[in-house]
Amino acid sequence: MKLVVENLTVKLQSREILRDVTFKVESGEVVSLLGPNGSGKSTMLRTIFGILKPIKGVVLYDGKALNSISEASKVFGYLPQENPEIGLKVLDVVLLGRTPYLSGIKRAKKKDIEIALKALEDVGLKGFENRKFNELSGGEKQKVMIARVFAQEPKVMLLDEPTAHLDISAQIEILEIVRRKVRDGCSALIAMHDINLASSFSDKILMIKNGKIVYAGTPDEVISEETIRDVYDAEVIVKRHGSRVYVIPKRKTSENGVRVHIICGGGSGRDLIYMLSDRGYKISAGVLNVLDSDWETVVEVGGEVVSEAPFTEISDESHAKNLEMIEKADFVVLTNLSIGKGNLKNLYAAKYASKLRKLIVIEKTSFKSRNFVGVEAEKIYDEVVRGSIVVGSEKDAIRILDRERYANN
Amino acid sequence: MRFIAILAILNVISALVGLSVGSSNIGIYDVVKVLTGDSNENVKQIVLNCRLPRLLLAMLVGSSLATAGCSMQAFFRNPLADPYILGISSGACVGVALVIILEIATIQNIMISAFLMALITAFLVYKIGSLARFREQSYAILLAGIAISCFMNGLASILIYLASQSMHLVVFWIMGSFSNTTWNDVFFLAPVSILCILFIFLNSWNLNAILMGDEHAKAVGLDVERFQKELLAVVSLLTASAVAVSGIIGFVGIIIPHTMRLIVGESHQTLIPATILFGSAFMPLVDVIARTTTAGELPVGAITAMLGAPFFVYLLLRGL
Repeated sequence: MKLVVENLTVKLQSREILRDVTFKVESGEVVSLLGPNGSGKSTMLRTIFGILKPIKGVVLYDGKALNSISEASKVFGYLPQENPEIGLKVLDVVLLGRTPYLSGIKRAKKKDIEIALKALEDVGLKGFENRKFNELSGGEKQKVMIARVFAQEPKVMLLDEPTAHLDISAQIEILEIVRRKVRDGCSALIAMHDINLASSFSDKILMIKNGKIVYAGTPDEVISEETIRDVYDAEVIVKRHGSRVYVIPKRKTSENGVRVHIICGGGSGRDLIYMLSDRGYKISAGVLNVLDSDWETVVEVGGEVVSEAPFTEISDESHAKNLEMIEKADFVVLTNLSIGKGNLKNLYAAKYASKLRKLIVIEKTSFKSRNFVGVEAEKIYDEVVRGSIVVGSEKDAIRILDRERYANN
Repeated sequence: MRFIAILAILNVISALVGLSVGSSNIGIYDVVKVLTGDSNENVKQIVLNCRLPRLLLAMLVGSSLATAGCSMQAFFRNPLADPYILGISSGACVGVALVIILEIATIQNIMISAFLMALITAFLVYKIGSLARFREQSYAILLAGIAISCFMNGLASILIYLASQSMHLVVFWIMGSFSNTTWNDVFFLAPVSILCILFIFLNSWNLNAILMGDEHAKAVGLDVERFQKELLAVVSLLTASAVAVSGIIGFVGIIIPHTMRLIVGESHQTLIPATILFGSAFMPLVDVIARTTTAGELPVGAITAMLGAPFFVYLLLRGL
């Protein structure tokens, strides 16, 4: 029981919209089509359903080609992109999904009404049957349309951007509803715009560019900075959490020419690094152990790092380099980091910066609770604080940096 | 269901009023006597050969125009679509005028010519209004209709001018009227209009589907192109046959379906029967107004226009 698409080529007004598209969708799979506007996603769905005729290639379900739209509508539940503005009752809209099963004079029988009501219940709109369609919210309308697809009892759902124009909770709900249906024994091919939603709800992703499938596979196989640059021509950061993938746009900020050195570690600098980098500050940090989460963040935003091998104490050599960086920097920030034997030298570095009058200290929790060295560190910290500006949050630190920066300009 | 029963009763009342009001002094009491077969020949003659065919024709025309309007509103997904607004009536009118000027005006010829012209007009309006560049603009179809309607009216005027000897007859006919109705007209109109209305009634499910838009209608397996062609032909035929027997009676296709929509809702399974029945009750009543308000007869089309145009503006203000 699977959908097979082979060598599909579609021309519209002598322009090739799809070129040699081949893939398959197995039963129980959610497959997403990703690609920029005009890449051929809608054309693909319309051709599979049979509204457009390919000049080459075949669409087979269960090994058979479907020759007419009325045949196709029993196998495929196709949902076009735009919703109509109509005053029909919700039940009437959902009942239209029974059209393929009615013949002669079309009248809904008891069984059809039961199926339609069940479909409404499945999308969470029990009791909505007598409401008017055009009086519903965007999310509810979309759910009604999904219920129409369900009433069709499809084997494969072909959904064209079912989450467009919806808020995030409605988007998630719609995709949850679709997933649940797929679990009950059908499959779905969904054209999507949101890469993050696609990768968290799909089993497979097909990326289309100019009518060709250029990448195909599981979300973590397919989604990467390179593929997105290739398909969408966009610069993003791709983060992986287990098998999940998150895409974050890279902000194009112009550099403001101000250097900030950050003394951090263990994730205490992460938010600050992102915030500063977004604002165009040139960032350096140190000393950080390689693979420390702050180390990864600095590398990600393209800052300079004074590094130390994982799980080793800061060497004199690194410490010296760190001091050099501090000298070069316009400002230095000491984050709310914990101090142990391994990074005690960073506290000395902070003291150096405080002497140079360029230190801002972020103190969210008392130093005592973060000090794992003892009295020695306590004393140094007191000296550090004396020569610097102490703030309670990253935002305050940035406010001061911005203010100083404007003052200097 | 209850509302349909109410409409049926309304039809009976309207029929009785239609039969018992007129220039000769024959009231409801006489009508009942005719129905029970207990009256003089003269009265019987007037009721059965004058008022009854006129009543039936008005009922048929009312239903035909209302049903045509209702299905055109679904077809074009535009609440302001109607055979009159979109120029299909005017097209049919040109067909009639052509036949009259050629002096071959039998009712069959009038009908065929009116149908062909109505079909051509409907097709033109549809083609222009559904051009890709107009697709998302609900005004486009109306503007196309108005342009074509103007053209057809102009053409009809020229033809009428050329047909100088019978000019006033043609002019009065164009204004829309049920005067001089004979059983011949009824026998001619009844089969055509009943079959067409039946077609639309049996396709009310499909009308719901195309109301959703072509793409959605295809998605539920409807052969949209074929259905649209059939519908366009049936609507043209309905309009043409109504125009052929009674001239141009505008706005019925707007007033009736919209009033019914407000009461029974949008679904064509109930909307179409309600429209058919309300159309057949409404038209004879308007005809009664036409023939009783002045010593002579007002054109029915003028009265429906007086009622319909404000209704049209109301719909326009409410937003498409």
